[in-house]
Amino acid sequence: MIKITRNKRSPVVPVSSMSDIGFLLLIFIMLLALINQRHEVKIDYPEAETVEKTQMEHNLEIWVETDGTFTVDGKLQTTAGLEQIIAAAVVDHPDVRIHIIADRNTPYRYVNQVVEVLQLLQHRVVSFVVREGT
Amino acid sequence: MIQIKKRRPAEDPMNSGSLTDLAFLLIIYFIVIAGFNVNKGYLLNLPEKDKPRIVQQEELMRISLDAQGNVFYQERALSEGELEETIIQQRLSYPETTLLLTVDPDTPYQEMVNIIHSIRRLRVENFSFRMTEEAP
Repeated sequence: MIKITRNKRSPVVPVSSMSDIGFLLLIFIMLLALINQRHEVKIDYPEAETVEKTQMEHNLEIWVETDGTFTVDGKLQTTAGLEQIIAAAVVDHPDVRIHIIADRNTPYRYVNQVVEVLQLLQHRVVSFVVREGT
Repeated sequence: MIQIKKRRPAEDPMNSGSLTDLAFLLIIYFIVIAGFNVNKGYLLNLPEKDKPRIVQQEELMRISLDAQGNVFYQERALSEGELEETIIQQRLSYPETTLLLTVDPDTPYQEMVNIIHSIRRLRVENFSFRMTEEAP
């Protein structure tokens, strides 16, 4: 009598589709990163020991350089331009958080110009962006 | 004799195991990078313009910050430690103390941040700030 023994295959989880899932997720996250692209201005951040998270769902970042240059979304602005941008942002999203991101050596008068615009528009809350450090 | 051919194990045409690792490593990289864009700092309530708040004279503590970053209280220069001690003493006498900070237009922003940091650390709730009027 001939005995035919079958080789039992050990159970294997197919992982070939994992790379597809991985790359799809990757594309999704990369696209999200593109949408949330931040136009960063090269500044020297002020530092403080303890800071709190001030980020919200809707944010508007106003960059202030040492020479008093205002930048929003990578475009230079005047105080009048800032007024329009802030007003439009508040109309779009009333809960928008305004962030002032100023260089640590910026004379306060330039930061105050932004504060005055916010006061003029009766926007009560502002975030002074600071980097956590010594 | 009957010969039974053994089946060859099916070969993966392309070993994609390392691709999975690569994709997930890239995902982690992007998630970490996204975390860097979160703004941190101090949330401040701006005082209403041209709408003064009435505060008892004793409960008002006026401090000023000059262009060199020196803090003055009652015309006396204070160090950071002395300022904190003065605020603590004032709040012991008047818990509802309102701190009014006057900032010189030429004061570097970092100096202003240092004062806000001290105020936040001491949990002073009534805090207001304004810039010294510039000469025309």
